[in-house]
Formats: sequence, structure tokens, C-alpha cells
Amino acid sequence: MSDARFEEFLARIYVDENARAKFLADPRGEASRAGLTAQQIDDVVKIDREGLEMFAASLKRKKQSHG
Amino acid sequence: MMMAVSDRFGLGWRSRLALGILSHLDRIDLVEVIADDFFRATRRERRALRTLAAQVPITLHGVTLGMASCVAVETKRLDQMARLCEEVKPVSWSEHLAFVRGGGIEIGHLAAPPRTAATIGGAIANLRRAWAVVGVAPQVENVATLIEPPGSDRDEAAWVAEIIRNSESDLLLDLHNLHANALNFKFDPVDFISRISPERIGSIHLAGGRWIGRPDAQRLLDDHLHDVPDPVYDLLEEVAARVPHALTVIIERDGNFPPIEWLIDQLDCARRAVSRGRSRQKAIAA
Repeated sequence: MSDARFEEFLARIYVDENARAKFLADPRGEASRAGLTAQQIDDVVKIDREGLEMFAASLKRKKQSHG
Repeated sequence: MMMAVSDRFGLGWRSRLALGILSHLDRIDLVEVIADDFFRATRRERRALRTLAAQVPITLHGVTLGMASCVAVETKRLDQMARLCEEVKPVSWSEHLAFVRGGGIEIGHLAAPPRTAATIGGAIANLRRAWAVVGVAPQVENVATLIEPPGSDRDEAAWVAEIIRNSESDLLLDLHNLHANALNFKFDPVDFISRISPERIGSIHLAGGRWIGRPDAQRLLDDHLHDVPDPVYDLLEEVAARVPHALTVIIERDGNFPPIEWLIDQLDCARRAVSRGRSRQKAIAA
């Protein structure tokens, strides 16, 4: 269950601009409020921010190109 | 489904390439069709696909099952794949080692999951279910990623190798995905290849991409809109030098389409790379 919740959390910050902005402003707080485990919280606090922004931008471009 | 008896080289089937592919079937051994495009196809569209399958061997490629997830793939999606395989009788079918949704949120693309024991277990369970429902085990593809998957406790080669070792699925090794990840996250792609059992590499994808991001922090995006770069052919030679059986090699091109002759020339480059690799293998064996 906690692993599924982690995937849901990642999916949300990848595609939802507001969720991503909130997370980047307060990673530990947002991860905690999402119900992630202590280990998962530590993991997302260390997230590859450059990669996160690039991946999110590529998803947005892909969505726009498909209308 | 049948075993390939010699190396085969083909293209991804795209509507913009259809005429070009059909007029060059003497130089194209098979085509790869995106399966999901036909899950809700009309009778006419499915008839057209069957007609295509009667002219050239087809392999089906899935993009939305989400195999590498802790969550079970929906039975409805597997049933759709099973029906399509039954109808088209492809030489093989494949999916990605990716998750594509979470908690009902569709990501809209292939996302690399955390590389952990949990996602290894989830992927193996999903692959076994897919095998049971469809009747044939899918090949599974390594994915390109712009982000180092959060929560990972092992590298990509270890993660992929463990899934392959503990499932019935062979690897569809995407060499541009490997090339991009190796450049973006600074590892040796040949070391990656050496850590996968050669007997379990079933097919190869080739593609191109472009650099994105700030000048001081660029990453290579696997966009399928550009030519296959030379280092990817070098990796193909490395694979062909190790794999003992016939390989299926597919070039994926999703847009910015060049003339078909240009893509056929790239298939010839792939043939030459495989030939160089086979020669190395023979020289070592001699």
C-alpha cells in the first residue's frame, strides 16, 4: 500500500503544476501530508530537482502536442 | 508466435510512413505496431491491421499497461492485448519497464519507477499475469528517464537484470534509452550490457533524440524525432558481439519524418553494426 501511495505521489508531482510547486516549496511537509513513510519522505526530499523540472516540462510539451 | 531464424530489421509503423514502408518491403523484415492504438479501433481499422500482418511480420508494442508498478495491471487492459494478439498473431509483443499512472492519475508517458525490491516484485508479478492472460510472455523494454527515479536503492542494470532473471520475459533493449541514461546519469552503457545475460536480450530498439535544458545542465531527451546517432550503432555492435541468437532490430521514428530512403539507409547502418558484432563473436570463438 505504501509503495502504491509513493507511485501516486510521484505521478502527482510529475503532472500537476500546483502540486509540484507546493512540493518544491516544502518537500518534507508535502510528503508527510501525503502519508509517505519516513524512508520515502527522506527519498523525495533528496529528489533530482533538475530532472523533475525537465521531466514535467517534457510531459507538458507532449500533452500540448497531442492537443 | 515463432522464433526468428536470422537477424531481422524493421521500422515502427506510423501512418506517415505507411506508403514508404509498403513500397520497400524487400528491405524491411518486419514492422512494430503500437498495440494501444488498436485497443479501441473500428472493425475497418482492425481489418487494415490484419491485412498489414498478412504482408509483413508484425510485432506489437504496448505503451500503457504500466508493467513496472507495485500496482497490478488492470485485467481489462491485458484482455485487450490478448484479443489483439489473437487477431493479429504477431511474432512477439512487448511493453515497457515503466509505471504510467498512480492512484488514478495518468502520467501520459513512461515514467521510471523507484528501482527497489518492491517494484521488481511488482514487475515480475505483472509480467507473469500478462503471460498468463495473453498466452505469450511479453518482452520488456528499458526506458529513458530525465529524472533519477526517487527512492531507488540500486542502479538501472541491477534492477533490469533482476527482473529479467526472475521472469519469463526477455529484454527489448532500447539502445538509445540506454545511451541517453548513460550520458544523463554518467554510467558506462557497455557495463550495463555486460550485466544482462546475452541469452535474454531478445530485441533491440534504435532511435534518436536531442539535448534539452540549461547549457550547463543539459540532458539528452529520447524524442524519436532525430536520426540514430553513431554511439548507438556502436552499442548495437557490442550487443551483436555477445548475443548468440538472431536479433530483431527496430528503428523508432515518431515525427520530423525524413524520406523513407533515409530510414532505410539507417536500417542498413544497423545491419552493418550487427554484422561487425557477429564478426567479432566469430573471431573470438575461432
